[in-house]
Amino acid sequence: MSKVILSTRSLRKTYGKRDSKFDALRGITFDIHEGESVAIVGKSGSGKSTLMHLLALLDKPSRGEITLHGRPTAKLKSRHLNTIRNKEFGFVFQSFFMNPNDTVLNNVVLPLKIAGVGFRERRRRAIAALKTVELDDKRNNKANDLSGGQKQRVCIARAIVNDPKVLFADEPTGNLDSATGDKIANLLFRLNREKGITLIIVTHDQELANKCSRQIRIKDGRIVSDSSGEFEPDDDGDEEIDEIVGDNNIDGMLDKNHPTKHIKIEEGENE
Amino acid sequence: MRILDIIRDANANLLRNKLRSFLTILAIFIGSFAIISTSAIQAGVNGFIDSQVDSYGGDGYLAIVSKDSFDALEGAQSMIGSGDGGPIEYNPDKKQDGMSPITEEQLEKLKKVDGIDADSIVEQKTLSISYVTSKETDKKYLIGAEALPPGNVKVDTVSGGQLDLRADDYQIVIENKYVEALGYTNDSIINKKIQLVVVDQFKRTEKIFDAKVVGVIAPGVVSMGYSYTNNKLADDIYDENTKYYPEEYKNRTLAVAANYDSNKYSADEIKEKLEDIGLSAMTIEDIIGTIKTFFDVILTVFKIFGFIALLAAAIGIINTLFMSVQERTREIGLDKALGMSSVHVFLSFSLEAIMLGFWGSVFGIVLSMILGNIANAAFHAPGGFLESFPTFNLVIYTIQDIIAVTALIMAIAFLAGTLPARRASHKNPIDALRYE
Repeated sequence: MSKVILSTRSLRKTYGKRDSKFDALRGITFDIHEGESVAIVGKSGSGKSTLMHLLALLDKPSRGEITLHGRPTAKLKSRHLNTIRNKEFGFVFQSFFMNPNDTVLNNVVLPLKIAGVGFRERRRRAIAALKTVELDDKRNNKANDLSGGQKQRVCIARAIVNDPKVLFADEPTGNLDSATGDKIANLLFRLNREKGITLIIVTHDQELANKCSRQIRIKDGRIVSDSSGEFEPDDDGDEEIDEIVGDNNIDGMLDKNHPTKHIKIEEGENE
Repeated sequence: MRILDIIRDANANLLRNKLRSFLTILAIFIGSFAIISTSAIQAGVNGFIDSQVDSYGGDGYLAIVSKDSFDALEGAQSMIGSGDGGPIEYNPDKKQDGMSPITEEQLEKLKKVDGIDADSIVEQKTLSISYVTSKETDKKYLIGAEALPPGNVKVDTVSGGQLDLRADDYQIVIENKYVEALGYTNDSIINKKIQLVVVDQFKRTEKIFDAKVVGVIAPGVVSMGYSYTNNKLADDIYDENTKYYPEEYKNRTLAVAANYDSNKYSADEIKEKLEDIGLSAMTIEDIIGTIKTFFDVILTVFKIFGFIALLAAAIGIINTLFMSVQERTREIGLDKALGMSSVHVFLSFSLEAIMLGFWGSVFGIVLSMILGNIANAAFHAPGGFLESFPTFNLVIYTIQDIIAVTALIMAIAFLAGTLPARRASHKNPIDALRYE
C-alpha cells in the first residue's frame, strides 16, 4: 500500500526501580503505514496509553527503538522532537484539554501560535480547520459554552490545523454519548480517508476499534494480536495482510539509510 | 513562538485572575512607592544642598584661617558649649585667645601649594555697612554683605543673574528679605541702584555706594542672610572701613578663601598640606556636611523599609506564580505536547513575573509623583513649612531614578519568578495531562 511512517522495535518501558519496578511495555514491534487507521486496543493498565505516549514522542522508551519516516528518534534533541510533535502530529484527548475561557478560534490556533505562524495566516488556517469540522460559525464562542461533541470537534480542528501526518486520538469518544461518539468517529475516519492522515486511536471501545483498518491488541505490555484477521475475517483484514506481505519489498527501496529488509513483521509478537 | 504572543499571553494570564494579580501588584506597589519617594526626596534635598554648596564656591572651596585662629574658634565653640568634650585648657603658646592674622609669608607659601589655584585666593574681607536704603523708601535697614567667594560660584537666585566679579561698577546680589522692604518686587529690583551707606566709626562721616542689584538670592541655609558683592564694591567698602585704621591693622588678613583641585586631591590631603604651613582649612562639606548626613541617614532608613516591602512582595510573586503553575498544569502539559519548548514555558512564566513587577513599579511611581507634587505645592503654599524656601523642591523625579527603580523591581520580580517558572518548564507533558 504505502510506506512506513512509524515503526517500533522491541519497545520496552519500565517505571520505577528495583522493588517498585513495573514493566508497562515488554517488547512491542510493529510498523504503521501512511494512511492507515490503527486502533490500539486494551484494557486499562494494559500499556496502551504508554505505547501511545512513546509513539507520539512524548516519552522515551527504556529500551527498543522508534523510527519516524525511517529515522531513529532516540537521538533527536528535544527541540527537534518539539518541532515534530508540532508539525507532524495532531492530538485528540478524551477530556478535550481546552482553554475553557478562551474563544473557539483561539483554542484551535494554539499549535500554530506555538509554531510562530503570523496572526493572519493562523487565523485563516484555523477557520479552514473549523470549516472541516463544521464549526466555523462558532469560532467566536467561548469554548466552555459548547456541547461535549462540539468541544471534541474543536479539539479535532486544533489537531488538524497544522496539517499533521499522524493524528493520535486517546479515547476520543470516551466522554461522549454513543450517538455523538459515532459522529466524532465518522469525522476522524473521514479525515483519514480524505486527507490521508494516519490515524492512531487508543481505545477500549471495541465498536470504535472495529471501524479501524487495523487493530493492535495489547495485554500486560505485549501485543496479543495485530490487525487480527481472525477477529475480522473480511476484506479489510485481507488487505491488511497483503499490505504486510508487500511491506518487505518496499522497505528496502525506501529506506536506504536504514535497511530493514531483514526485519519481518511478526504478527502478535510476544517474546 | 513569537515574543509578542508570549507577552500578550502573559498579560492575558494576569488578567485571568484579576484579584490575585491585583493583590500581588499592590504589594510590589508599596515597595516601589517607598523607594521612588525616598529617591525623589533625596534628589530634592541634595539638589537644594548642592545649589547651596554652589553658592559657596562648589566642591573645591576652602575657607582658610591661621592655625591659631582655628584653635581659638574651637576654644570659643567649647566655651559656648557647642564643641566636643569638656572645656579646653589655656595654652599661651597656642594663642588661643584671639584671631591671629595669616602672615605674608604664609600667603606666599599658600600660593605655591600643589593643588591650590593661586589665582583663586581671595582675602575674606568682612565688610561693615551701616545701612541700606533705596529711592523707593525712607527707611534704613541693617545689612550684612561680603565679597563672593572665588571659583565657580553660582549664587542660587530667584530672579536676575550672577555677579560679574571683575566689573568696574558696583554690583550686588541681594538677600530676598530686603526686596520688599526697599520697595520693589523680585523682578522690578533687578538693575536698580540701591544705596549702601558706610558711617565712619570715628568721624561719623557718611559715604554712599550706589550698587546695582543684579540678582535676588533664594532663601537658603548656607548664605545665612548675607548678600554678596563683586570685588570692586567689596574693595572700596573695605578701604572706606579701614581708612582711619593704624597702618599695621590695615593689611591684616584674617581669612582667605581659595579653590583647590578636588579631582586631584581629597579634602583631607589638602588640609594636611595647609597644616604644614600653619593654616587650617574648612571645606564646604565641613560646613554643611552634617545636615546632609542627617538627611541621608533618615532617607536610607526609609529606603531599607522599601526594600523589605519589596522582598515581601517578591515572596508574594513566588506564591502567586506557584498557584498559577499548579492551576495551569494541564494547560502547560498541552502546550508542551503540542510542541512548546521548555524555554518558552519558562519565558512565559518569567514574563508574567516581570509584568507584575512592571505594573507594581509603574503604579508606585505614578502615585508617588502625584502625591509628591501635591505635597510640594502644599508645603510651598502660604503657611507651608517650605514657604520661605521657594527654590527647595521637596521631590525631584529624575528619569534615571524612575528607570533604575523600574528596572530593579522588574529584576527582583524576574528572580522571584524563576522558581515557579522553572517548575513549570520542568513539567512532564504526560504527567501534566494526566493531572486532574
